[in-house]
Amino acid sequence: MKFIVSSSALLKQLSAINGVVTTNPVVPILENFLFEIKEGKLTITASDLQTSMMTEIDVEAKEDGNIAVPAKILMETLKNLPEQPVTFSIDRDTYSIEISSDNGRYKLAGENATDFPKIPTVTNATAVDMSSEVLSNAINNTIFATSNDELRPAMTGVYVNLSATNATFVATDGHRLIRYRRVDIASPDAASIIIPRKALNLLKSTLPSDNVPVTVEFNSSNAYFNFSNIKMICRLIDERFPDYENVIPVDNNNNMTIDRLEFMGSMKRIAIYANKTTHQVRLKLAGSELQISAEDLDFSNEANERLSCEHDGEDIEIGFNAKFLVEMLNNISAKEVTLKFSAPNRAGLIVPSDKGENEDILMLVMPVMLNNYV
Amino acid sequence: MFRTMERNVVHFDLDTFFVSVARLGNSALNGKPVIIGGNSDRGVVASCSYEARKFGVHSAMPMKLARRLCPSAVYLRGDMDSYSRYSNLVTDIIRDRVPVVEKASIDEFYLDLTGMDRFFGCRQFTAELKQTILKESGLPISYALASNKLISKVATDDAKPNGQLYIPYGNEKGYLAPLAIERIPGVGNKTSSLLRRMGVETIKVLSEIPVPMMENLLGKNGIELSRKANGQDDAPVVPYTEQKSIGKEETFNSDTIDMKFLYSELIRMTESVAFQLRNQRRLCGCLTVKLRYANFDTVTRQTMIPYTANDHVLLSKAKELFVKLYDRRMLVRLLGVRVSHMVGGFQQISLFDDTEENVRLYQAMDKIRKRYGEPAVQRAVSLNTNKS
Repeated sequence: MKFIVSSSALLKQLSAINGVVTTNPVVPILENFLFEIKEGKLTITASDLQTSMMTEIDVEAKEDGNIAVPAKILMETLKNLPEQPVTFSIDRDTYSIEISSDNGRYKLAGENATDFPKIPTVTNATAVDMSSEVLSNAINNTIFATSNDELRPAMTGVYVNLSATNATFVATDGHRLIRYRRVDIASPDAASIIIPRKALNLLKSTLPSDNVPVTVEFNSSNAYFNFSNIKMICRLIDERFPDYENVIPVDNNNNMTIDRLEFMGSMKRIAIYANKTTHQVRLKLAGSELQISAEDLDFSNEANERLSCEHDGEDIEIGFNAKFLVEMLNNISAKEVTLKFSAPNRAGLIVPSDKGENEDILMLVMPVMLNNYV
Repeated sequence: MFRTMERNVVHFDLDTFFVSVARLGNSALNGKPVIIGGNSDRGVVASCSYEARKFGVHSAMPMKLARRLCPSAVYLRGDMDSYSRYSNLVTDIIRDRVPVVEKASIDEFYLDLTGMDRFFGCRQFTAELKQTILKESGLPISYALASNKLISKVATDDAKPNGQLYIPYGNEKGYLAPLAIERIPGVGNKTSSLLRRMGVETIKVLSEIPVPMMENLLGKNGIELSRKANGQDDAPVVPYTEQKSIGKEETFNSDTIDMKFLYSELIRMTESVAFQLRNQRRLCGCLTVKLRYANFDTVTRQTMIPYTANDHVLLSKAKELFVKLYDRRMLVRLLGVRVSHMVGGFQQISLFDDTEENVRLYQAMDKIRKRYGEPAVQRAVSLNTNKS
């Protein structure tokens, strides 16, 4: 078997799906790309069993065939080759691969393509269409709040709930929660799935910067994402997502509106002086003044700043993990944000003062238990 | 560079500290043999007056034996609160006057006076400090001024009671030479009997053993010991050491296999540790449970946990560890709980695990404890603990 392909075109396609390949996979064959040629079209597959990605590229080939090619060595070779057509010659019996370029010849050992795990197909799927921009917005707005706790698998992914009128994306790690809702995505069949973080991270880095349509198909166990010439299939997290609607408070009437960048800047400075492990800062709202302070008793560090804000409600003193707040503020694009509180030991909400036409975003953050009573 | 310089290190040690504090509160105890320690048969002597020492009583001796040796003594239970109050008082007196102070224990202090002799004269200064402490706190204290921590500590024992010693620079070796090897801190029962079997009885002989031979005999400790025997110690006076862990352990009045009782003890100790943690505005990342069987076999087990100071998290982990740890059907002598890997901060409230009632409950309980003392509220399971 033999085929000729442009080195840079191939590299571009491989880079798009290379993120799936793990360094220490469950089965060694997963360190390879699967190359399949059919009628002049090369299909490349990468997989870690949970998530698989596929892409296609036209090649010059006289016959069909397949081979598994070691991913790392191939990527590095292509990265270091100047743009030119390269020829792949594969020995069907020994699975050895020879790459010839103008610069010389490189030989590496491939593996039998039939050993590569079969990629599942989605049957009985529900399909939804959206644009890549909308999808990447939804991912960017939620993914940072997912949990790393493998003991609670449901929270290691983003929950997506489709209804006839909207789509809701929710992520939480038990200390904060993001609910991102869009009215421009909807499906007549109501459905909810949990997409694992790794798949979303891959999507995030692969989704093209120009706006292209994305087709999402899913059933109860897998989801398909189809855009440009890339396909991604991921296994869904088969768990019950926590009952998030019930924990979102509805009676947070102590509102503070503040310039987002000013608030975030101040928070970042103060956090430098907070404990490096817990990142705890204290917000003190009195009248229309917000005082932010932090201290690290172990190093005798302390800092405090005063900001002016619009405040409508009782004075309140509440503690938060500054890292959470900064991450949240960073993911909002509005000029101003409103923080809604009720009590120092109850959840606080952050909402942007103005938002996009079709979107609605709500961020919830749990405070820390300040025991500053006498 | 500093280490090679001649240093002036003072070791202060409060004489029979617990007894002295007890005497401050009750002058009738003056001149009488006083023994402080746990009053059960399994307790040990924590401190005893010089009058009691004449009867052969010494600290760490089982109370049972002490009673036999000195039945006429006044026996008292310790009062940790007033000890730490007086200890802090003395600490404040010293810290007011000396910049580099290491509080080595509740009744011991190391002072680094290097460089101060240019202004005050170290001997005069320390003598005056001793008088100030006696005057302001009423507690007798002894000290020794030497060129390093080791010599000052060893010499303080010779200065007691209520005395003082000065070992000038260069005299370290000569001072140690005639002393018994057990006087070196770190020479315990095992090392001492090993050395004595070899005929090494005084520090002089010990200092003459070649270093490679000592290393052969005791490994790394041998090299260290050889240096000590030669009066060399370059350990600095460390003004502040961070508390690394909080723990609580209890030796039971009698060995037990009563699981219900063990659990309630475990809960009580964990609750107390968690409260101290919250009180210090800290969270912990590691929990250790310790168990000693009747035959003194001691086992521990620890686990890393997400940073927390919440009772219920620590309790469930402590129980898990205890179940893993207690795998022999043998009577238990001691049970202990310890938290470490501490960081400053408050408990992060969890969205799904902590109910609002729970959060308020913790805050209310801690409020009560701060006002009325730690035992004011506790879980009912941990109440039936005073089992005899």
